[in-house]
Amino acid sequence: MARTLCATCKTARALIIRPKNHQKLCKACFIAVFEAEIHHTITTTSLFSPGDRIAIGASGGKDSTVLASVLKTLNERYNYGLNLILLSIDEGIKGYRDDSLETVKRNAVQYDMPLKIVGYDELYGWTMDQVVEVIGKKGNCTYCGVFRRQALDRGAKMLGIKHVVTGHNADDVAETILMNLLRGDLPRLARSTSIVTGDSTSDVRRSKPLKYAYEKEIVLYAHHKKLDYFTTECLYSPEAFRGSARSLIKNLERVRPSAILDVVRSGEDMAKLVPEEVTGISQCKSQKVSLSSADGEEEGSGGCGNTNGRDSGGEMADMEKKLQLDEEASSREVDVTSLASTADGQNHDRIASKSVGRKRDTSRKLVKQTLGTCKRCGYMSSQDICKACTLLEGLNKNRPKMEIVIDVEDEESSTLRRRMEGVTLAAG
Amino acid sequence: MSAETIKATPHDGAACTRCHKADTTHHIRSDKVCQSCFVQYVTTKAIKRMETYRIRGSSYNIPRKLLLPVSFGPSSASLLHILDQHIQGQYNRMNRASYELHVVHINVYVDPVDRKDADELLAKYKSRFPKHTYSIVNLGEALHLDGIDWKALDMEQPTEADRNTDRLLKLLASMSSATSRSDIASTLLARLLVDVANRNGCTGILFGDSTTRLAERTLTETAKGRGFSLPWQVSDGASPYGVDFHYPLRDVLKKEITSFSSLATPAIDGLILLREGSSLVSASSKLTTIDDLMVQYFESVEENYPSIVANVVRTSSKLQSLPNQDTQGCGLCGLPVAKDTDGIHGWGGDQNSDSRSAMEDSHHGILCYGCSRSINS
Ligand SMILES: [Zn+2]
Ligand SMILES: [Zn+2]
Ligand SMILES: [Zn+2]
Ligand SMILES: [Zn+2]
Repeated sequence: MARTLCATCKTARALIIRPKNHQKLCKACFIAVFEAEIHHTITTTSLFSPGDRIAIGASGGKDSTVLASVLKTLNERYNYGLNLILLSIDEGIKGYRDDSLETVKRNAVQYDMPLKIVGYDELYGWTMDQVVEVIGKKGNCTYCGVFRRQALDRGAKMLGIKHVVTGHNADDVAETILMNLLRGDLPRLARSTSIVTGDSTSDVRRSKPLKYAYEKEIVLYAHHKKLDYFTTECLYSPEAFRGSARSLIKNLERVRPSAILDVVRSGEDMAKLVPEEVTGISQCKSQKVSLSSADGEEEGSGGCGNTNGRDSGGEMADMEKKLQLDEEASSREVDVTSLASTADGQNHDRIASKSVGRKRDTSRKLVKQTLGTCKRCGYMSSQDICKACTLLEGLNKNRPKMEIVIDVEDEESSTLRRRMEGVTLAAG
Repeated sequence: MSAETIKATPHDGAACTRCHKADTTHHIRSDKVCQSCFVQYVTTKAIKRMETYRIRGSSYNIPRKLLLPVSFGPSSASLLHILDQHIQGQYNRMNRASYELHVVHINVYVDPVDRKDADELLAKYKSRFPKHTYSIVNLGEALHLDGIDWKALDMEQPTEADRNTDRLLKLLASMSSATSRSDIASTLLARLLVDVANRNGCTGILFGDSTTRLAERTLTETAKGRGFSLPWQVSDGASPYGVDFHYPLRDVLKKEITSFSSLATPAIDGLILLREGSSLVSASSKLTTIDDLMVQYFESVEENYPSIVANVVRTSSKLQSLPNQDTQGCGLCGLPVAKDTDGIHGWGGDQNSDSRSAMEDSHHGILCYGCSRSINS
């Protein structure tokens, strides 16, 4: 059998077919190119400055373990001058995090990095086990999700760190882009494509240096570098839109390996094409639909372990029902308005004709979204009290679960939804 | 698929929820309706869309001319049927029509036998809908269009002596994947249609795409790195090519149009080939394309969540092209490419020259990301 030589060094034997472009590489060249690409991502986006203290959101899984390993390597190789710290969250679910936290503790030794594990009890005064005691098994995922989204930021803030990096990879980003197309959520699509969220004015910025790295290459890198990470079947079943987008991404990758990268590129380009007024419309029209179900989760980030047994088609069915009601309502309105404008002798232009029904009811409700901070915890939020604090207030009064998912179409509920939207925007 | 909507309910006996007269035979979303109300529903959706178009070049006396490409699939045949009746209705009422149609079929097959079949089928269209003008054009003619940058494609400028067909085959054969071949073929087809429109004095093109098809396209183009082009691929209105693009069936689902096409009177079934024209030249290939994946995907979404399909299209139609940008036309698809965003290299996702193969580096000239991806894979 003929030896295939590495396409890059042309001396060593090719052992790896790069998932991204099917190039045949030797082990050393694969590791080099994988690291070089992340270095490029970091330098071309000016992600870090010398002296930065960076918290690596570490779960013990492959993505965050590879991120920690690569950042350590690059920091030393190119003298980034970064102060790297591992930051892990303990939800306080007995037994659930034990193995992954053990992995992170070993990583801290292997990479010679300080490790800080912050518990929900420290951050919120409640462990998830305690939350379950109060509100029961059902519905506790809402709490865990809301709490987790803020946990890294709150943890970083506790440590006085202004920048958290997470292990989100190209597959995650591509999946989020397709998911938001399916959910009809352009504003969130646009937000999900940027490598950094938050800016110099925010307390804590978030970024994803592995944004362009393929999941398969992350696994390969971890394997060939013999990294110590925790493999676990994720107990959390993704909500229907994400699950649907995920299987689509896997199929696309099979048909054309570059497709993951191509979706990311499309998402970046489309983000520039989202008009401002659409952000408003979408906020009132489509997002309120998706919010009730998707709960604003931006990227597939592991679960809390308490599988909720949710029917995975539920979110799509819910949205379908709401859209149908919307359609019925707006088709009635269009009938009226199109009559009126024809009487005027006015030709509707294409935008007007498309959104007659929509415009009428959104103009009333449209509220400018401004980012402020929660009066209670200081976390980014578009209204006085953020979602986590609202939930906490309920918990602390020892009341059962607050009504956060409201299906009734009244003014009050949409106001609440807007509030929630503010929170999720902040979390993005 | 039509079986789903045509699901006759003889034992049901319920009256149509719209006219309350006839028995129900069809579904409009969750409503059960009779056949004539169903036909009325689809027709009205298309005509209502037509009436919202402010078609350029239209004036009181001179009807504007629009190009209607037919693929021999159910959507474009149904659209022609609907518009033919619409025009006839205008004649009957006002003795004039506000628009005229030029019907074109683009021959995507290279085999002479297939071409003869196409000629014969188009002749059937002509005798069924005699009010309009007709032409048939081979896809290979796209290779003689101005503005195709042969250097960017790494090919020599075509000469008159070149047989178009050979050249088209050569171009498509140079691509290694079925997705790329189908992508480039549909790109050439779009440019050719614009050219046919211009040559025939048409100010706009009426595409037969259903809601479902536009949703497929939204995700297909996204998956092929052509997200930047969506404002021109799914929205009604001006295109960068100078002719308007219209999608009168954008509010009709694929399964609805399929049912409709079997109900038209006089019948149009004889005008429809079962194979949809969308698979183009790659129809012979066993390899799945991204387009195929999305067709399958949305077939299942449409089944259970038709409003989600419609919402995808509503969403992507909100994307707006950026005004006043420094752009150059892509050497293949012709769409405006913003400065320094051409090609598949030199952006965030590919900064690393070490990972490129030598062939990929040899190109000069402007290609958009999507065209560049197909040419290079
Ligand atoms: Zn090598
Ligand atoms: Zn708060
Ligand atoms: Zn009826
Ligand atoms: Zn192009």
